[in-house]
Amino acid sequence: MTTTAPDRSRVWPWIAIVVAGLVTLVAGMLVPQDAVQGQLSRILYVHVPGAWLAYLAFGVTMAASAMYLWRSTLIWDRLAASSAEIGVYFTGLTLALGMIWGKPTWGVWWTWDARLTLTAIMFFVYLGYLALRRTTDDIDARAKRSAILGVLAVVQVPLVHFSVVWWRSLHQAPTLLKPESPDMDGEMVVALLVSLAMFTLMYVAMMVKRMELARLEEQVLRAEQSDAGPVAGAAVTAPSLGEES
Amino acid sequence: MSVSFFGQARTVASRDLLRERRSGEVAWVTLPFGAVALLLVPIAIGTDAPTLRAVGIGMFWVVVMLFGVLVSVRRTGADSQSQKDMVSLTGIDPAASFVGSAWASSLLLIVFEVILGLLTIALYDIRIVGWAWVPLILILVAVGLGLLGTLAGGIVSTDRSAAALVPLIVAPMSVPLLIAATQAFEGLRLGHSILTWILMLVVVVLVLAIAGVLSARPLQETG
Repeated sequence: MTTTAPDRSRVWPWIAIVVAGLVTLVAGMLVPQDAVQGQLSRILYVHVPGAWLAYLAFGVTMAASAMYLWRSTLIWDRLAASSAEIGVYFTGLTLALGMIWGKPTWGVWWTWDARLTLTAIMFFVYLGYLALRRTTDDIDARAKRSAILGVLAVVQVPLVHFSVVWWRSLHQAPTLLKPESPDMDGEMVVALLVSLAMFTLMYVAMMVKRMELARLEEQVLRAEQSDAGPVAGAAVTAPSLGEES
Repeated sequence: MSVSFFGQARTVASRDLLRERRSGEVAWVTLPFGAVALLLVPIAIGTDAPTLRAVGIGMFWVVVMLFGVLVSVRRTGADSQSQKDMVSLTGIDPAASFVGSAWASSLLLIVFEVILGLLTIALYDIRIVGWAWVPLILILVAVGLGLLGTLAGGIVSTDRSAAALVPLIVAPMSVPLLIAATQAFEGLRLGHSILTWILMLVVVVLVLAIAGVLSARPLQETG
């Protein structure tokens, strides 16, 4: 009788479910609503962590891309690509939630604010990064090309973050990531920090699964490429005597 | 006999320009396409002269950014695999090859900008203030866009989807060029100093040049 080692990666989806449940509990029930914005302010507990994860994910993509260019080890490529994919997802989520919040608050779904516009541009730059990875089946060429773009594209992150400082912006200035103490009620700050921690854990869970998937995709691609070549003499068939063609 | 770095870059640029002269892709396809775009805008937004005067310069830069990408990724500027192998065997420095291609694209983009600029002035009734600065702005934007397009073309480097993918990469990344160019013209109109915007253009050009030169060899290795 043979025994197999327990598959630890099965734990990660459960972590993601628990995290989502905890965020819902904290943001939706335990924290009091905002005095001015009411229930609408609860979007903050997903919108801000979503933006934070986008920064984190694209930062990881840049660091892993630089490591790939230095070491040429494919695990860095998998890390960069997986992180970029998750970053694009969370950037999209942040934009969508911002628009949902913007309509009742500002009266429009979209306003030509520097933060919003640059976030949308960042979204499209990394969408281009993901599209680039689909242009070739050559694993090493794909890794090298996307690593160069992964390093270049990260310039968008400080642009987005500091846009509210550099330009006159309708968007709120940094609340937590600033030298002074936060302009928020203590309970809300704690809830936001819990939400940030939970989302970061969810990012780790998603990364573990996505990197495993990326490794399997690579294996499939290599197997297909090794089978793809024609065998010498395959075009020659045995003569079939006495049969009409 | 060894050829200097800039000698190699000049040779590559001459080759690209010769190819363009023979095929006329920019002159007969991309440039008319950009001109048609300038004609379509008033049909869509209305032919009211004050409105057109207000949006004219912005429209010019949008058309330059979007259609200028097509100048950088023109078929006559792209090498086939066998041509790349041949260039590699001749020992041309990949960085010199990048500089040469960007050089050729920039020259074509300057011509592209000048012709479309004159057309915009005529169609949209634009009055340019501060003419002395205009050539510098046009040159810096053309060089920046040429470098960005050549770099993106090198990164994508496949026939399979280059035509669609390079614009997707270049368009969002050309935003600093677009902001600096439009704000510089706005500054000229209002009589403000535009040195900050010129400095921004110079910084973008330098960053792109360094990125392109540093990434040229790794990109050549990918084939």
